[in-house]
Amino acid sequence: METSAKDLIYLYCITKAKPHYADLQKTGIKVYPIYSQGIYAIVSKVSESKFSEDNLKKKLTDMSWVEKNVRQHEDLVEAIMEETTVLPFKFASVFRTEKNVEKLLKEHNAEFKKIIADLENTDEWGLKIYCNSEQLKALLEEKNELIREKTQEITSSGKGKAYFLKKKRDELIRNMLNEKISEYTQNSFEKLKKMSSRAKINKILPKEVTEKKEDMVLNSAFLVNKKLIIGFNHALVNLKTKYFDKGLSFDCSGPWPPYNFCSIRGNEEKHG
Amino acid sequence: MDNVMLKSKDVTLLEILDRVLEKGVVISGDIVISVADVDLVYVGLKVLLSSVETMERLRGAPFAGAGEEPT
Repeated sequence: METSAKDLIYLYCITKAKPHYADLQKTGIKVYPIYSQGIYAIVSKVSESKFSEDNLKKKLTDMSWVEKNVRQHEDLVEAIMEETTVLPFKFASVFRTEKNVEKLLKEHNAEFKKIIADLENTDEWGLKIYCNSEQLKALLEEKNELIREKTQEITSSGKGKAYFLKKKRDELIRNMLNEKISEYTQNSFEKLKKMSSRAKINKILPKEVTEKKEDMVLNSAFLVNKKLIIGFNHALVNLKTKYFDKGLSFDCSGPWPPYNFCSIRGNEEKHG
Repeated sequence: MDNVMLKSKDVTLLEILDRVLEKGVVISGDIVISVADVDLVYVGLKVLLSSVETMERLRGAPFAGAGEEPT
């Protein structure tokens, strides 16, 4: 049992305008702004018994605790995002004192202001594309001339030869399947990139994480000007229609705080 | 089918974790005590996410590891 009741400072996001008190209240978290040189850090006090490095590591093994706190972090940033541009921080960005937060605001002042200016009037949208490989495979077997020829060859061959021909055909299908998937996902990404200010490809997540039957074939994020969202949506609907019978499904979510577009080291927009 | 967009209120925990834990501003240096090693944390969570189902099935069952710390 922890006896220390010391508080730490949890930083959610940085903004240029001071958010309204009422909007912060509705999230149920007691947050307040720390101001320095034209920008605000939105913070709350958290207990060391949960957020010190050692204690946090323990807490992170408790999935229900993680879910509750991660959602809270997200809800708070989203509430602030409704009225002003936010620079969202990663979960559990914790400082020892308010002075340290102030120091951060001062040290990175110009950088933070520039990123916020670049993000103004934009929203982040996420797109994950999933592929039902069996459906696409069946489609290739049915429609692709080359594969149909191979199949016919197999049916008109003797047992031994048919076995090898079948192996070769299956390899051909596998390669073609991969080619098609990368063609479709690349095309989708490029089409949507044209409708965005910035775009980014993230790591594919495995099935154990997505808990879906289909394979994730693209994990991407787009920064879209609020005024141009109709065009982005239109492009998305077109892609969805175009690839519907190819076994692709489009999981689009947003508007998000710009988590994918706020790197302060300029090391974003790398693939992978 | 003319609007395929989703609002974030409907999105899964996965979507939130994929951002709040994976992305966002990271400050390094001595003023931050606990931006825990995020890759590690995320690997841990991957395992956790896939084991949530298992945990739920086990809920209510007698705790097998009990008694290892006699009082």
